[in-house]
Amino acid sequence: MPVIETQNLSKEYSSGFSKQKVNALNDFSFSVNEGEIFGLLGPNGAGKTTLIKILLAITFPTRGNAKIFGTDVRNHKAKAKVGYLPENHRFPNYLTGEQVLSFYGRLSGMKPNDAFKKRIDELLELMKLTQWKQTKIKKYSKGMMQKLGLAQSILSEPDLIFLDEPTDGVDPIGRKEIRDILIELKSKGKTIFLNSHLLSEVEMICDRVAILNKGDLVKEGNVDDLTKAENIFAIHTVEPLNIELKQKILAIDSNAGAGENEINTEAGVDNLNKIIDLLRKNKIRIQSVSQKTSTLEELFINVIKKDNIS
Amino acid sequence: MLTIIKNTFREALAKKIFIGYYIFYAIVVLFMVFLVNMDAVEGVMSLADEKAIVHQVETGFFLLSWNLIIFFSLISTASFIPSMLEKGTIDLLISKPISRPMILLSKYLGAVLFVFLSMVFLLGSIWLILSLKSAYWDFTFLLSILWLTFAFAVMYSIVVVTGLTTQSTVITILVNFFLIFVLCPILSIREAVVFSLVTNETVKFIFDFLYYILPKPGEIRDITNAMILNEPINVWKSSLNTETQTFTVSWMSAISSFIFCSAMMAYSIYYFSKKDY
Repeated sequence: MPVIETQNLSKEYSSGFSKQKVNALNDFSFSVNEGEIFGLLGPNGAGKTTLIKILLAITFPTRGNAKIFGTDVRNHKAKAKVGYLPENHRFPNYLTGEQVLSFYGRLSGMKPNDAFKKRIDELLELMKLTQWKQTKIKKYSKGMMQKLGLAQSILSEPDLIFLDEPTDGVDPIGRKEIRDILIELKSKGKTIFLNSHLLSEVEMICDRVAILNKGDLVKEGNVDDLTKAENIFAIHTVEPLNIELKQKILAIDSNAGAGENEINTEAGVDNLNKIIDLLRKNKIRIQSVSQKTSTLEELFINVIKKDNIS
Repeated sequence: MLTIIKNTFREALAKKIFIGYYIFYAIVVLFMVFLVNMDAVEGVMSLADEKAIVHQVETGFFLLSWNLIIFFSLISTASFIPSMLEKGTIDLLISKPISRPMILLSKYLGAVLFVFLSMVFLLGSIWLILSLKSAYWDFTFLLSILWLTFAFAVMYSIVVVTGLTTQSTVITILVNFFLIFVLCPILSIREAVVFSLVTNETVKFIFDFLYYILPKPGEIRDITNAMILNEPINVWKSSLNTETQTFTVSWMSAISSFIFCSAMMAYSIYYFSKKDY
């Protein structure tokens, strides 16, 4: 059973005095499986935060439905096993770090016993905030607030965690620490729904991603599959290629790039095989054949550009 | 629910306005301690019997300060709802496994309970001082803690509605100021003053209509005073005896205020449950 499941989810907002309709989400259907780290990507205004808000019943869809753990998201009990770190979260600034965790932990249904106190201490330690636990959070830096927010979101040991820009304002070392925490959570079987602008970060930790643009789902799939560039292959040879052979390769694929020990072709699998046959016929040993990959950032930019043109 | 109520208390205590709020109460209490002279020989006790004097001080105190206390309490708690609705705060609250009506009711009850405890401090202190000074222990006066809290709770339901719909603390305070100090007092004296100036039946109907549906904090004070003075209270309609010039309040003011408060809270819960954040 998917942990998150949406069917034909649409959200329209009225904008300005003219009450002009703005589509934040269009017929959005997708699912997230247990134990996945799922990344949601998209430019500003693509509908990412709207989607998270609908999944947490902070905003209601105009059409369609969404379920968490098989329960309609409008039922507040569906959120019993959910943690959430909103973008630009705002905790009551009259509380200390410890009190913030205690407050939100109690709201998540945790009982105020020794185990609860121990859990708070553990998380403060994990986030390196122990020495600040008795300090009012209005004195916290942005990075400390973000770490406290992350601690709040995982405090009740939820099975599903929504993180909206979790590393926003965090220094590189802090980011690495947060990434490690997320990977550890995944190893414990937790499902993580990540919304981040930092594509390199998403690429590093996400299993699957969805790209949203203007409310539409324009691409979805495994990170590895998506970042494999279609029909672009690289062949590395043991023996160097002579000029005659290079000319024969260009006859098969006029756009191929042939170096000393490397051939790059963008002409598809058939031509790749023709080139390999040619190499074998000429007694050239092949060291490796690999499909070229692009970064998630390259993929993202290409996908958004194409979608905007279409 | 208790967690949100407890946090509302923390929020209240963290606000600087409450320092002013309690300084004001402390001044009132100190005034009672040092300035109200109830000495049997030199003070007011020499003029009349202790019971009548205590009643006069109590009802006189409410006459002067009832609306002010409610208004001060509203000013100090008016920001609770708009601050709860701030982006980044409301998202987190709603993401927890608590129903929206429960969040709103807890916030409302937190504010009401806080004001109740403030009233226990203020009115309890006044009662203790008056009782010690006069040796007359008027336990009926303690009921005013509940009545004042009730009047606050009714007016706070307006804060909740305006806070939810406008998300502005200033607007909620202005609306309450207008109701407590302008509209409600005018409506209370509409028959004696307004109707003698206005002849148009439609206008009279509008005044009557507003009078019956809107809360009546001033008349809740009159009920409290009538209870302190052990005067009769009509069931449905207040009356004026033209011969003795005595005014008899009615329970209707409290009942209609309670209905108003319930309607406001029901609407608030409906609105809050349907609203996108």
